[in-house]
Amino acid sequence: MTAAAAPANAVVPAASEAERRALQRARIRGIVISALGLIAFALASNTMNSEVTFKFWVVTQGKDFVQIQTTAGMFWILTGIATGGTGIWQLWRGSSTRWRRWLILWLPLWVAAVVSTLLTGKTAVLTNAFAGTFEYAFPISMGAFAALICERSGMFDIAVEGKLLVGACVGAITASMAIQWLGPDTGMIVGPIVGPLFAALAGVGIGVLMAWLAIRYKVDQIITGTVVNFGALGLTNFVYLRVLQTYTDYNTPPTIEKVDVPLLSGIPVLGPILFQGTPYMYIGWVVMLVLTYFLFRTRWGLRLRASGEYPQAAGTVGINVIRIRYRAMILAGAIAGFAGSYLSLHSAGSFQMNMSAGKGFIGIAAMIFGAWNPIGAFGAALVFGFADSTQQLLSQLGVDVPPQFLASVPYILTVVVVAGLVGRVRGPAMAGQPYEQG
Amino acid sequence: MSGLRRRLRPLAIPILAVISAFIVGSLFLIFTDIPALQVLPTQPLDFLGTAVGNVIKAYAALLTGSLGDPTRFADAFRTPTPENWATAIRPISETLVAATPLIFTGLAIAVSFRSGVFNIGGDGQFVLGALGATATVLLLRDLPAPVTLVAGLLAGIVFGMAWGFIPGFLKARMGAHEVITTIMLNYVALQIVQLALRTPFMRPATGSEPISKVIDFVRVPALIPLPGLRLHWGFIVALIAAALVSYFLFRTTKGFELRAAGLNLTAARYAGMSAGGSIILAMVVSGALAGLGGAFQVLGTVTQMSNDVNSGYGWTAIALALLGGTRPGGVVAAAILFGALNNGGHEMQIETSIPLDLLVFIQALVIMFVAAPDLVRQIYRLRRRGPEGGAPVEEGAAA
Repeated sequence: MTAAAAPANAVVPAASEAERRALQRARIRGIVISALGLIAFALASNTMNSEVTFKFWVVTQGKDFVQIQTTAGMFWILTGIATGGTGIWQLWRGSSTRWRRWLILWLPLWVAAVVSTLLTGKTAVLTNAFAGTFEYAFPISMGAFAALICERSGMFDIAVEGKLLVGACVGAITASMAIQWLGPDTGMIVGPIVGPLFAALAGVGIGVLMAWLAIRYKVDQIITGTVVNFGALGLTNFVYLRVLQTYTDYNTPPTIEKVDVPLLSGIPVLGPILFQGTPYMYIGWVVMLVLTYFLFRTRWGLRLRASGEYPQAAGTVGINVIRIRYRAMILAGAIAGFAGSYLSLHSAGSFQMNMSAGKGFIGIAAMIFGAWNPIGAFGAALVFGFADSTQQLLSQLGVDVPPQFLASVPYILTVVVVAGLVGRVRGPAMAGQPYEQG
Repeated sequence: MSGLRRRLRPLAIPILAVISAFIVGSLFLIFTDIPALQVLPTQPLDFLGTAVGNVIKAYAALLTGSLGDPTRFADAFRTPTPENWATAIRPISETLVAATPLIFTGLAIAVSFRSGVFNIGGDGQFVLGALGATATVLLLRDLPAPVTLVAGLLAGIVFGMAWGFIPGFLKARMGAHEVITTIMLNYVALQIVQLALRTPFMRPATGSEPISKVIDFVRVPALIPLPGLRLHWGFIVALIAAALVSYFLFRTTKGFELRAAGLNLTAARYAGMSAGGSIILAMVVSGALAGLGGAFQVLGTVTQMSNDVNSGYGWTAIALALLGGTRPGGVVAAAILFGALNNGGHEMQIETSIPLDLLVFIQALVIMFVAAPDLVRQIYRLRRRGPEGGAPVEEGAAA
């Protein structure tokens, strides 16, 4: 960047100046991280006697279990070693980016240490907490995938929230109507299929509307997103209060039950966590894997990414950028709408006002956190899901932590990530820019 | 004649946008009218009559709720007691009460849009302004009331400013996209409010609702000395703020720099203006306005902090800024219109039991139509404006 602007003979000093500053920054980072390590050790000495018991179900809930008894201090020692080690390594090598990989190691340790300190003297069933993490993470991760497809194609999508909400509402109504019209027996089978399907279609409708406004009329994509979020809230509240509250038959959909995956659900400890969830969860994994493959290994993915990074170039080689963007919005709408049906169909058993409660925005956060990569976004969604799940675990066990602390973690983390405080992530270059097809 | 036409032309799109939004809204009203829908298969004409009748009833209630009932005015003229006058004027007073926070947040968003910054964080700045004002007033309750009041309002400004400064700073120094950071900070602000409302300092002695103590010991003085009218000086301050913002944006060097940055950041930078400074300034001014709006809301209108004190003002403000063409005068007009809608919506909800949320949906539609002027032109077969006409609405949409 600086080298390009400066005359040729000034290139070398400018580069070394930048290098010197990077080194200085790396040192400061090293000192901060090492200090964190020392803090962890200090906390370890205070918590060596605070005992915690973790319990895992082996195969079935409430039957055989394995139990691990430990102290919070142990976690703090491990945290101290990992953090301090990273800090010292950082000071020694002065690396500017590679320390971020170690974050993956010591951040979970910090979380584990804090949680186990809070749980002192209690027995926590972690099978449920981890299974809950995956459940909570589902709508967030799907929202992240939807936003990710849009942004990779060059469209801003802050409307995930609105699509989730409309998906939840449409899913509940259509699944209930299936029961009303086909009778309880057939309806119980058809409803759980029709609900998510129509929810996805509703999402597609919103996606098409947004794409049409943004591409045909060049409306700013942040404004179309705001329109959808705001309008979806108003519309679903309106429908709930005017119709669903009085005619409750239209808001009693069949719930989508948990399904065990054959064979895999029998794996000790892991089975109950990973393979005894709702079908939604499994679909989420499939979407993640398929999306990753298509995005990075197929022609479609390459073209999608090209129209997000440099649409003019993509257009020049004959790629129909407009069509790609329309299709991306349609696909994203389907994914987000489908995920919305999860909210009203999996356990709540009805649509409630504003039931998405910011999950769409957390989804966008997860996308950024995961650096616009499906697997990364899924990982970030798990982190946020874990925050939700832990909050529930703590309140069940009567630990009095204001839930607001944990609830604001995803948002604060996102601000930190977007601000580049933990290394910069970069989104598609042309996201949000209208494209004029020549 | 042609002069008048030219002056009215910029109003065509906003007015048609509002009309279109109401038409779409009425379609939704008709198709959610379940009792009427039940006769559709047998008596389609009856269905149409009932459903359309209900729509007219609803919109009529909206109108009398926001502007007042003519019969009440007649009563007031016949027997001019203060009570009768208060009853007659109350709907208008309430409309202006509802418009006051909207003017502040609308101005906040307009300033940021003009400067090329997308402040979606009006909500967060508003609630933190309200929280700051409440906390300050509770803290200083033993001081003379005027001092406490002014301190509370200043606290609102400072809190709003601080919450605007963060995304401004992050964008200017780190390149963090302000849309993402302001959305996230909205949620953090709401969590802060909930946390604060749990503390004994804020909470009333009894009850577990997320509300604060009542702070009616200091109150922004009422504007009309009639019983039961809530309109307070905050409205006048809002108008003054609009005038000041207008002066600042269009008559000062800093305002010129902000608008230059909004039109073309690169060009502004080459002209020697500090792009980062403009961004931070725009966000700070924007946050201050929203925060002051929050302070007036708790100190003048609701006299109690709660976690739903914002009721989506930050989002409505985006509609206002666009509808008003990001001009302070236009924002005030749009805010009074939306204030009338929100206030009349209550009347509509009471009289016809049609949920107030319909108006949220209609407001979203208004944003959509205003932001897509070509769509409106196409629907109503309007000609494109000539180059001499300028295009204030599109300027706002493109910012």
